[in-house]
Amino acid sequence: MDFQYMFQILPPILSGAVTTLLLFGLVILVSIPLGFIVTLLVRSKIPPIRWIANAYIFVMRGTPLLLQLIFIFYGFPIIGNALAETFHSDFFRELFQMERFNAAFLGFTLNYAAYFAEIFRGGLLAIDKGQYEAAKVLGFSRPATIFHIICPQMIRVALPSVANETITLIKDTSLLYAVAIPEIIDVAKSIVNRDSTVVPLILAAAVYLVLILILTLVFKWLERRFNHSK
Amino acid sequence: MEMIACTGLQKSFGSLEVLKGVDFSVNKGDVIAVIGPSGSGKSTMLRCLIDLEHATGGTIVIQGEPLVTDGAYVPEAQRKAVTAKMGMVFQHFNLFPHLTVRQNLELAPKLVKKMDKDEIRANSTKYLEKVGLSDKADAYPDNLSGGQQQRVAIARALMMNPDILLFDEPTSALDPELTGGVLETIRQLAEEHMTMMVVTHEMAFAKEVANTVLFMDSGKILESGAPEQVFVSPKEPRTREFLSKISK
Repeated sequence: MDFQYMFQILPPILSGAVTTLLLFGLVILVSIPLGFIVTLLVRSKIPPIRWIANAYIFVMRGTPLLLQLIFIFYGFPIIGNALAETFHSDFFRELFQMERFNAAFLGFTLNYAAYFAEIFRGGLLAIDKGQYEAAKVLGFSRPATIFHIICPQMIRVALPSVANETITLIKDTSLLYAVAIPEIIDVAKSIVNRDSTVVPLILAAAVYLVLILILTLVFKWLERRFNHSK
Repeated sequence: MEMIACTGLQKSFGSLEVLKGVDFSVNKGDVIAVIGPSGSGKSTMLRCLIDLEHATGGTIVIQGEPLVTDGAYVPEAQRKAVTAKMGMVFQHFNLFPHLTVRQNLELAPKLVKKMDKDEIRANSTKYLEKVGLSDKADAYPDNLSGGQQQRVAIARALMMNPDILLFDEPTSALDPELTGGVLETIRQLAEEHMTMMVVTHEMAFAKEVANTVLFMDSGKILESGAPEQVFVSPKEPRTREFLSKISK
């Protein structure tokens, strides 16, 4: 094994990993709370709000993320131009024309929020209605019930699925190539083309494995923290 | 003073009439045992009193304050205020599984009553001792037996300093050998003159602790009176039939 070669090609691959991690972190940070809000909207007492939330989930889960990314990055500017001409205002042109990374962030966040919403909805279904009744007879307000009684239990039920989805997100970041942002695989592939070797691909795999190992350990720790039966 | 006055209470689930006009009243210090076959509406009646079920007709007055008058409810905020002086203990305990025993007791006084921290701590210590579970303060509910969980649930209800306690089949989900501790706790509360309504299948317990027994069947109170009278010389044939069935 040529370690010197490996150390030489590792930095560009790791710089691809930085993009991956940055996108991953931002998407997780925004899509989990957003997903929870969508869950609450799906359970709203007002029918039109429920319809809109369900339609959103249907569209996000029903079309490929790749298509959504392409639509946002390449399709939105076309729509923006059309709107700008119709309304004689450059506002729309600027609004719909996004930086590559911002477009990717928007696409990933909207897509993952829909999946998280469904995971959280499943978590809420698992909670016994006796919990709501106990909270009610003790006089808890609705927000206090959700925040102090329901959410902690919902998180515990949802954690394994959230972990699963999070691991998928790490791997899905390879879709960044759709908006031409260099990430791990992209960098590795160009080195393969240049040097005619499989080493970069193995390194790329190792980077993914390390990232996912760390995530797995973090979620195992979280599951232990939220498990109270032992 | 009348703690609970209930007249003509009706409740339907769709076309199914569960309560067909129930009348009774509860005075301070009363311990009322509600007995009857399953499906007779006992639990539904109890749940209407504390606003877990929406009555479809009739009047409920709690300590002089109306909750519902001829099927018309008072506004939401008032409903909360009227039912706040009642506590409830459920058949399946409904403890919060993510909180320790002590946290189960302390959360409502902290968030709802916004009581002083030291006072809350003193109360939780007092009530855990009362139900004999001081050593379980830091345990999680899943690690307790059913009987212990139910005693925690009683302590949790007592933390809110209720004037009336409602028990919905408090021992029905327990193994027979675990009912004793729960019944002992309720008996102790009766000696302290806590006003209580207990839906129960424990006839011996009802006979011993209650001062009034209500016998319900098919959504109505068929018979009520002192336990000696209802158990020893029931007037209604349905009561006699029920009692003879369960004594077998």
